[in-house]
Amino acid sequence: MPALEPLVGRRVIGDPDALDAAIWSGRDVVVLRLAPDEAFGIGATAVELDDEHAIDESEAGFVGAVLSTADLADVIARVDWSLPSDPSALAQGKVAGVPAKLLIGDPSLLVTHAAYAGELADRLGWSS
Amino acid sequence: MVVVNPGAVAAFGATEAVASLQPIVWHEPRDSYDVVIVGGGGHGLATAYYLATRHGITNVAVVEADYIASGNTGRNTTIIRANYAIPEAIRFYDHSMKLYEGLEAETGAAIFHRKKGHVWLAHSEMGMRTERARVLMNQAMGVNTELLGPAGVKALVPQIDLTGGGRYPVFGASHHVEAATARHDRVAWAYASGATSRGVHVIQHRPVTGLLRDGPGGRVLGVQTAAGPIHAGIVLSAVGGRVSQLAAMARVRLPVRTHPLHAFVTNDFEQGLAKIVASTELACYVSQTERGQMLIGAEFDSQPSFSRLSSFDALRSYAYKITRLLPFLRSMRILRTWAGLCDISADFSPIMGETGVDGFLITTGWGTWGFKAIPAGGEALAERIATGRTPALIAPFGLDRFRNELAMADQASAGTR
Amino acid sequence: MTDGSISGSGGRIVVDGRPIEFAAGDSVAIAIMRSGKVPGGGGTLCLAGDCGNCLATVDGVAHVRTCEVEARPGTAVAGDPGHGKPPLPIVDGRDLTRTPIGRELGVRRIDVDIAVIGGGPSGLAAAAAAAAGGGNVLVLDADSGTEVVAIYPGRSIVAREPAGMLHVRADEIVVATGSAEIQPVCPGNDLAGIVTSGAAERLQAAGVGLGVAVAIGSPPSGVACTVLDGRLIRFEGDATGRLRSVVTTNTDGSEMTTACDTAIVGLGRAPRDVLARMTGDDAISLVGSVADEHPLPAAPTAGEICRCMGTTVDDLASAWDAGYTELELLKRASWAGLGPCQGGACLPHVRAFIAARTGTVPEPFTARPASRQITLAEAAADTTIDAFRRTPLHDEHLALGARMDRFGGWWRPWHYGDVVGEYWAVREGVSIGDVSTLGKLVVSGPDVVEALERIYPCHVADIKVGRSRYALLLNERGHVMDDGMILRTGESRFVLSFTSGGAANAEMWIRDWVDTWGLRVHVMDRTMSLAAINVTGPHAKELLARLGLAEPPRFLGHLEADIAGVPCHVMRLSFTGEAAFELHHPVDGSVTLWRALLDAGRDFGIRPHGLQALFGLRLEKGHVIVGMDTELDTTPHRLGMDWAVRMEKPAFIGKAALERTSRLPDTRRWVGFAMDGEAPPEGSPILGRDGDEIIGNVTGSWTSPLLGRALLLGWLKRTPFPDRVVINGREAVVTATPFYDREGLRARA
Repeated sequence: MPALEPLVGRRVIGDPDALDAAIWSGRDVVVLRLAPDEAFGIGATAVELDDEHAIDESEAGFVGAVLSTADLADVIARVDWSLPSDPSALAQGKVAGVPAKLLIGDPSLLVTHAAYAGELADRLGWSS
Repeated sequence: MVVVNPGAVAAFGATEAVASLQPIVWHEPRDSYDVVIVGGGGHGLATAYYLATRHGITNVAVVEADYIASGNTGRNTTIIRANYAIPEAIRFYDHSMKLYEGLEAETGAAIFHRKKGHVWLAHSEMGMRTERARVLMNQAMGVNTELLGPAGVKALVPQIDLTGGGRYPVFGASHHVEAATARHDRVAWAYASGATSRGVHVIQHRPVTGLLRDGPGGRVLGVQTAAGPIHAGIVLSAVGGRVSQLAAMARVRLPVRTHPLHAFVTNDFEQGLAKIVASTELACYVSQTERGQMLIGAEFDSQPSFSRLSSFDALRSYAYKITRLLPFLRSMRILRTWAGLCDISADFSPIMGETGVDGFLITTGWGTWGFKAIPAGGEALAERIATGRTPALIAPFGLDRFRNELAMADQASAGTR
Repeated sequence: MTDGSISGSGGRIVVDGRPIEFAAGDSVAIAIMRSGKVPGGGGTLCLAGDCGNCLATVDGVAHVRTCEVEARPGTAVAGDPGHGKPPLPIVDGRDLTRTPIGRELGVRRIDVDIAVIGGGPSGLAAAAAAAAGGGNVLVLDADSGTEVVAIYPGRSIVAREPAGMLHVRADEIVVATGSAEIQPVCPGNDLAGIVTSGAAERLQAAGVGLGVAVAIGSPPSGVACTVLDGRLIRFEGDATGRLRSVVTTNTDGSEMTTACDTAIVGLGRAPRDVLARMTGDDAISLVGSVADEHPLPAAPTAGEICRCMGTTVDDLASAWDAGYTELELLKRASWAGLGPCQGGACLPHVRAFIAARTGTVPEPFTARPASRQITLAEAAADTTIDAFRRTPLHDEHLALGARMDRFGGWWRPWHYGDVVGEYWAVREGVSIGDVSTLGKLVVSGPDVVEALERIYPCHVADIKVGRSRYALLLNERGHVMDDGMILRTGESRFVLSFTSGGAANAEMWIRDWVDTWGLRVHVMDRTMSLAAINVTGPHAKELLARLGLAEPPRFLGHLEADIAGVPCHVMRLSFTGEAAFELHHPVDGSVTLWRALLDAGRDFGIRPHGLQALFGLRLEKGHVIVGMDTELDTTPHRLGMDWAVRMEKPAFIGKAALERTSRLPDTRRWVGFAMDGEAPPEGSPILGRDGDEIIGNVTGSWTSPLLGRALLLGWLKRTPFPDRVVINGREAVVTATPFYDREGLRARA
């Protein structure tokens, strides 16, 4: 059974162009582009971008779970909206009614706010 | 006149229902009336009825775009109650509730009025605070509403799951003892029959396309329709759904947005749910009709729209919510779903009376709470038309209250019918 | 009818407590007929899902068409007692609480290019053509167990499958649902033993005998029966409601009675177009006989026209004569078409009835979902609402015995068992409260000062870095939407706080305005990234010193500091009336910080406080809670908070409205009251001094442990505003707020 574990990294709000070209430091950084002006670098320890007014904050407010193929199918079965046609795109919407983000790839990742972790785990049947 | 009420008769079927119909008289339309009422729903027909019966004014036409009660009058969940939170609303709806109680005796029409009691559930401390306030204000206004704890709720609604499906625990409820239901289109027909038998004209399938004005900004002199103009001494808009467009014809801007509201019924079952059960937090409510159907509604859609198409998202969320509270509904099959259009005013209260344009009155903003207001709204508008004076009962609900910062804010009472 | 011989028994179903054998592939209806009985309470059976004449309670679900349910071993059938109504079902609510939310019944979801509804020849042809064109095609066929419930706007199809629900989104929909057989309307049409031609063919194929059978109209193919040429006049039966004979016309017009066990009627067809008419979508096309013109039957003259509701032709005529002279009124007045088949059987006859009287064929009834019925549980399959949020301290609260409540979309501690004790800890010792739910935004950018000056009614530019200011948030009408703090963290960077319920709205509000004005401002929502603990009470400063905060900020100051090793943004403000420090920190440090505070404050008698104590503490200070105290047209003036609005500013949202409304008479005012004894409940009406008119209501109420009196906040809505009122039958005196520490010395201490 997957578990939602804390994710730490840096979350940045900045000019979209600057974010496109941002350089993220850290090991195995996975960057979730949450919005044109927003990105969350999971595992990032620093980020460089060309926007002096960018808001660059240490972020510990998300949790995530790495999904096996079977887990991913279970999660997708609880999505009642159309996933992005580009399979590598970040899908954002409700999973089992809880605001979440789904990165389909190798590996696949389910992310939500830590405040929703208990609720999402309950709904996916991941609570013991 | 024998009043047939299915509650009092063992076998009440289609034949008995037909036998209890009162005749509606259709007249050949004229091109001029003392009063033209736009909108043949409950409010328009009731106003015509009270003009005829209370004031002897019968040179009246009710002009309806479709068939009578085809709008929200025939689409609502038929709950009659006065358990509002502000004194002005409580007084108004309590009067309406009393008119409803006497309507069968007054008109001789069977409207299947039944007193049931309205149990309004709370699932949190803040929810209880709202219900407690409602009880206190109702009692101060002489309306019989009591506060219940979970055990009290269970005693009145034995089928309830007090854990709310493990998610919406029932902290308690307010119980509005006098709340009732009535068959919605029967109410419209009772007024239509009473009005048309006294000479009022009801003109169906006649959409109003414009207003006749005495020059720009001048008095409203009648309505324009595809089948020609109809002149009027005074025009009352009793339109639901498209009211913003009609008011715009008189250059009146209304603080009203129109949102769809969905409802559904199950098949018929034996009587067994005595109370009207509602929840503010879950924004859903259910009552059992005289035929035995479970009639279920919820909150209006958050997005404004003029669509009356059913929505599956609404159905599934309503079904989810109501089955948390009343799990026995889970295995019941849904017979039919539909939608109506709710005109929601900026303060969740109705707008009645002057528009600022001579010869043009309005009754609107009936949101999800218009059915219960039909008798009192119609009676008051008829008095305003007949006497030229706005009755004290509806004076707080004038359009000018928004400009004067005197909102009748009562959102907590509007969420469920 | 005779018992059909069973080749290859499929097992037994239980009908009204008695087991009967069925053959593999039987529907429940056919299994019942195979046993020599008739499903439902009489009337013509179509066995095709069009009428409502074979209904029964199947496995606890009432009003099920038995012709649509495959017989399975153990299927329990209870016949609906004639036209009587089934009792309310009994369901154990505990099933719901035991199942993961939304998991009670699964939903399969499919996106396709083209969905074809109906697996008959025309449907399959349409599907083959679509597939040949390269489309991704799905065929939904009721005979294969996929029953389409409805088509909704957006070309979304809801169907029921044997294993659960199926939700389909399609670019195009082809409706190939065929046509339904017309039912006979004549005296005796409510008897048991009448079937349509199609039903007779189905029974024949299933090997169910029909006994002595006669056919009227188009006869079925391959079914042994006597074909009667004449026009149908009536059916005749026995006292049990079984058909015994059919009366038809002879060529000379006289009546002919033919004895039979089964009457087979072939009276023409009507399109099954309800699904196609449901949404009025152009991308829905019709193929096959659903698209064909079908003549209406002859106008009915006698008999039951709506079997579901029991409406007779006489009833229809009576309603018509009473003035209910169009289809929609007639339907509601006569009940025809209101039952389980939703007009499937009666609609052609009602239309023919009206056409005969008006000379015009009316449009069909409005088509509304559902075409096939589903239960509420099926509708609610995989549905979830309301995701409740938990702060990182949720488990800490539970361990401390907190009574948790949902408030503003969050789980929050309502109290920890001793509201007055929690209160005293704040007033006389030190206490901590979980305020993680407060809305928190970071705003930054070259135009940030300009943006905030326009958004807030107070001055912003003069807030120095490291300082903060309380602010109201107003809408364009000058009404209070929210409140919170503006904290300056840099020349072009601020932190904004909002109420717990207002955070999401505030973020949208600020983003919208910034975009509208074209200002260069970044907005980051930190509400769920940062937790916050309010440390408050006379010993708060000392407690924080023990955990490493040597230089605490001055009142309305703020700074960054590590406390118990957790990086905190420390804000000095006060809602409780005592010295208070809000420690905003990353959510992963919360538990460490919370426990460290409790440990270090043990000798101060530290204890956490819940919302209930907080509401009392703030009430003594007269602080407003937006949403609890305010109404949707509450201006700062009505709250007595003109000090929070700087009308001398050139522009801010709501200024123009406030300028206009400031000239209106003063009609509503939010004030404080004090009275002896216990506090009356919140929401109590406020009566005028003579106790006969309601002039307002109480929004906050608290028996002050410190002052030993009831303190209240509430609205006065009658002028002139009185200085004495009656609440709960007792006199209350309008009293200036704050009730406690008017000079605010304690908060600054």
